[in-house]
Amino acid sequence: MPINYYIFLAITLFCIGIVGVLTRRNAIIIFMCIELMLNAVNILLVAFSKMHYLAAATANPATNVGSEAQLFVFFIMVVAAAEVTVGLAIIVMMYRNIHSVDINFLNRLKH
Amino acid sequence: MNVIILSAILGVIMMYTGVMSKNKSTARYVATAGILALIGANWLEFAGVNFFNIDTRGMLEFTSFGLVFNLIILVCTLVYFLLSGKDLEEVGANAADYFALIFFILTGIAIVSAFKTMLMLFIGIEIISIPLYILAGSDKKNLRSNEAALKYFLMGSFSTGLMLMGIALLYGATGTFYTDGMYLGLGNITVMKMAGLVLLMISLGFKVSAVPFHFWTPDVYDGSPTVFTSFMATIVKAAFFIAFLLLFENAFGRMHSEWQFAMALITAATLIIGNITAVFQQSVKRMLAYSSIAQAGFMLLAIFALNNIGKQGLILYTAAYSLPTIGIFAVLMRMKDYTYEGFNGFAKHQPLLAALLAVFLFSLAGIPLTGGFFAKYYMLVAAMKNGAMFWLVIIGVCCAAISVYYYFRIIQAMYFREGADPGIQVSEGFKTVLVLTAVLVIILGVHPDWLLHLLDN
Amino acid sequence: MSKLIYLVPLFPLLGFLINGLGRKYLSKSLVSIIGSGTILASFIVSLMIFFEVKAPGFAPQVVTLFDFIDVAKLKISFAFQVDQLSALFLLIITGVGFLIHLYSSAYMHEETPPHFARYFAYLNLFVFSMLLLVLGANFVIMFMGWEGVGLCSYLLIGYWFKNDDYNKAAKKAFVMNRIGDLGFLLGIFWMISQFGSTDFSVVFAGADGTPVKILTGITLLLFVGAMGKSAQIPLYTWLPDAMAGPTPVSALIHAATMVTAGIYMIARSNIMYTLSPVTQAVVAITGLATALFAASIALKQNDIKKVLAYSTVSQLGYMFLGLGVGAYTGAVFHVMTHAFFKALLFLGAGSVIHAMHHEQDIRNMGGLKKHLPITHITFLLGCLAIAGIPPLSGFFSKDEILTAAFLKSPVFWVLGVLGALMTAFYMFRLYAMTFLGKFRGTHDQEHHLHESPAAMTIPLVVLALLSVFGGFIGVPEVLMKNGHQLENYLAPVFAQSTAKMHEEHHLSHVMEYMMMFGVAAIILVIIIIAWNKFSRYQKTTAEATGLGRVLENKWYVDEIYDTVISRPLLGFSSFLSKFDKIFIDGIVNGVGRLVQYSSRQLRWIQSGQVGSYILIMVTATILLFIIQFFWKS
Repeated sequence: MPINYYIFLAITLFCIGIVGVLTRRNAIIIFMCIELMLNAVNILLVAFSKMHYLAAATANPATNVGSEAQLFVFFIMVVAAAEVTVGLAIIVMMYRNIHSVDINFLNRLKH
Repeated sequence: MNVIILSAILGVIMMYTGVMSKNKSTARYVATAGILALIGANWLEFAGVNFFNIDTRGMLEFTSFGLVFNLIILVCTLVYFLLSGKDLEEVGANAADYFALIFFILTGIAIVSAFKTMLMLFIGIEIISIPLYILAGSDKKNLRSNEAALKYFLMGSFSTGLMLMGIALLYGATGTFYTDGMYLGLGNITVMKMAGLVLLMISLGFKVSAVPFHFWTPDVYDGSPTVFTSFMATIVKAAFFIAFLLLFENAFGRMHSEWQFAMALITAATLIIGNITAVFQQSVKRMLAYSSIAQAGFMLLAIFALNNIGKQGLILYTAAYSLPTIGIFAVLMRMKDYTYEGFNGFAKHQPLLAALLAVFLFSLAGIPLTGGFFAKYYMLVAAMKNGAMFWLVIIGVCCAAISVYYYFRIIQAMYFREGADPGIQVSEGFKTVLVLTAVLVIILGVHPDWLLHLLDN
Repeated sequence: MSKLIYLVPLFPLLGFLINGLGRKYLSKSLVSIIGSGTILASFIVSLMIFFEVKAPGFAPQVVTLFDFIDVAKLKISFAFQVDQLSALFLLIITGVGFLIHLYSSAYMHEETPPHFARYFAYLNLFVFSMLLLVLGANFVIMFMGWEGVGLCSYLLIGYWFKNDDYNKAAKKAFVMNRIGDLGFLLGIFWMISQFGSTDFSVVFAGADGTPVKILTGITLLLFVGAMGKSAQIPLYTWLPDAMAGPTPVSALIHAATMVTAGIYMIARSNIMYTLSPVTQAVVAITGLATALFAASIALKQNDIKKVLAYSTVSQLGYMFLGLGVGAYTGAVFHVMTHAFFKALLFLGAGSVIHAMHHEQDIRNMGGLKKHLPITHITFLLGCLAIAGIPPLSGFFSKDEILTAAFLKSPVFWVLGVLGALMTAFYMFRLYAMTFLGKFRGTHDQEHHLHESPAAMTIPLVVLALLSVFGGFIGVPEVLMKNGHQLENYLAPVFAQSTAKMHEEHHLSHVMEYMMMFGVAAIILVIIIIAWNKFSRYQKTTAEATGLGRVLENKWYVDEIYDTVISRPLLGFSSFLSKFDKIFIDGIVNGVGRLVQYSSRQLRWIQSGQVGSYILIMVTATILLFIIQFFWKS
């Protein structure tokens, strides 16, 4: 399959994530949309990894070009997990205080 | 390398301290000793002594620029601990954990001042950001603190998403994560590269609170416990700037003219919005948040200009902005009333503190004989040397003039208004450290070469 | 010896520093010893320098102390000029200065110690500045001294600063001087652009060959400075008001030294004036007009110091007349003799005022002859000297100027003689009303009349001797072969001008005798008339009428200045202040308000909603993409 398809898929997912962040009011769903954005990036990185590997492999089949992108994906997953931990803790903390996770209630700080 | 590893270890040690010691203050003493050790380790590395012989080729590179930056950051943190360590203990029950988080952040800062690949940039920035989300929300019962944490977290992770997308696009276009390997020279610019660059510019612009990505700044700085606002607004902000500068210099330096205009627009917007919005604030804490945006506008000039003077200026700016701001916050934390009126008649009741505050405010406003003057001066000269877009320099000068208004409002309140005794108690040690900080600020304003000579090594 | 020239101004400077800084701790006697002693030391050094300069074979020297300004091509060094002219002025300044310091120590004894020390500190600073003025080897150093004496004059006129009128007088003197100084400064700038230097040696050497128009411009500007400092029409009105200062100050600054700075400056740059006839004519006419004008005012004044002040203005006019007609030696000669007799007259007046307990109105005096014998004799000698009775000093110097004026134009001579006659008249009116006739003051005053202490009478006697015999260094050629020692002495300074001046057509000896003694005879008649008239003076309440009234009111010049210059200026300035308030402040405040307004509006963007924040971020991102891809700057 041409690389373009992967790119389109990733960009589409990414944009869905952005639109989700913009339209939803529930903090957890917004957070999920952000995760969607990160995963779109993961797909893109893996696709690019494959693309660069194929380009290099024709000259040298033993090449490891592209492997670093797959490594990067793991780092993103780890960091995303760390973010989830902290983020969910913050959302829980907020729920304890105001019994809601609607971000429209976040308006004490303004101007 | 010394700082990265030692600081991470110290973070773990701090967590254990919290478990082992029942005495609250122990953590503070350990943390202060730890910072001193870090300063020593950084100095040794500067002199060529490495504790850890690890091959970081291609990943990290420790230049004198990065090490001097680390030194300033560590000294600022030391001052911060000495001035505000006690307040830090009073935020919540887990004082040692806050110190641990701060050490982790220092690890992240050491990484972003040395990164050579996008991976390290990403990890460094996340190591700085995630503990900050926690610190912002550390006052758990306080709704403002909650709100600040959630806002910061949501917007921060959104910008992380943008940054990762940018990195992925750049990887797709160049096949590498190494900043030096991208060779984004003129000639071969594709849409994908440019899109990646713009996304990185936006996400880093978010971190340094450049307009129009600055919206989180006032809210988060205002809502967070003041003691952490102080840390976020100074040390962390400077660290993001170093990351911004190093990335754009190493990876995109050759296509400078391609992105310069966009950068100039962002810089101008930051200068104007930051300064103008600060004018109408009623709370000193919130004013300082906007002032940090305004100062960011000046620091952005270094990235816009991307020359040696700009780099030197950024080093100077880090010191000349962080030290006074930490000092002001340290005094502010002890005030009950954060509005300007709270400072009425301050000079009568606390003459020494008022005088020191005045020195700090002078530095922030860029009055000669304080470090802030040379910092702003270097930035404007850098922008001028750049040659293009002279209007930016004019905007910078006008905005520097506007900034005098809101900084001097505090001085006016302190010296020319009558007011009740704020009734704050400060120890002799606090005063001594504050005086030393003011002396440092003045030394920077009289002889900035003293700091810049370190860069020549 | 001339290497030690720096000592001359150094001593008064030290005196100023010690008295100024230690004014709270030093006793009055110590202050006066320091104040007078430093000047005496300067006088001794000046005397030694004078003898060295006077010795045959002496070449003028420039002693450079250090480089003062060194910018690009312009180099101005802190250098002193040692030659015949400056040595002569050094003697006058330090000699007369010392006598007046001595006199002051007695005259000012009523002051409290800190104020007493302040007075001496100012006086020493004045002497320092004056010495700087005459010693400077370039116009910039001269200008420093020039400004310094102006400052000291201001400080000393306003010495009794609790009196508001005195402060106003001080301010007036300062402002008038500043007007002149501006001209002087512009002259220096022009000079720098023309010659690239302000060194006397460079400028005077380059003057010959410079276009006459430029020289005229420069010299006229310098002359404006001289008009201010030496109180010439139209900038003379400050000098009579300056009499608000203590009397010894009037004697030293406003009679003997400072006001002659303008004459010194022109004498110093004589070659430039010789080469520009237009300026010379302006100088001569201004001088003559001032001489007549001031003399006419003096005729009707009743304040003892005011009469002397107008007399000073008038005599300064004579000196400028001398300069204008090319009689440089005569002008310098008159400076010297005038310093003697005018200082004497002022100090004598001071002695009278002292005895009369600060009474200055001569209508309330009279008959002081028997109470103040020494003051009376010396004052009489001073009057005779200034009136020009041979063989007193004023006769010789005035005669020299008048003779030179006659050679230029007989009209100058006639008017000059008229002025001299008026001088004789008002001086003897003053003398007669003060010392002759009956005492017209209160009994209380009469009871306390007493001769002044020795510290005051000694200077009087010394100055009287100088006034009597001082003229003999300048005996005209006709009366004595090689009698004019001063001319021989000063010849090197004016050599350049002498060479440039056209062939002098000498007067015949008979003519010269006639003029000399004819005038003296008329003056004598005038003196007798004045003596007779005013020794029988009775107080009247009758208002003066006609010309007398105009003269009494000093030709209404102050009032004219007030309506023609001050009021329109004030009106203009109030207009400007309104313009400033409404228009300029409007703009400034407008900008301030705009910032505040936009600040208030911009706050609303910060809505507190995460959703809108992210929306703006995304919009901005899209905009940045558009700018980056489609809009290349």
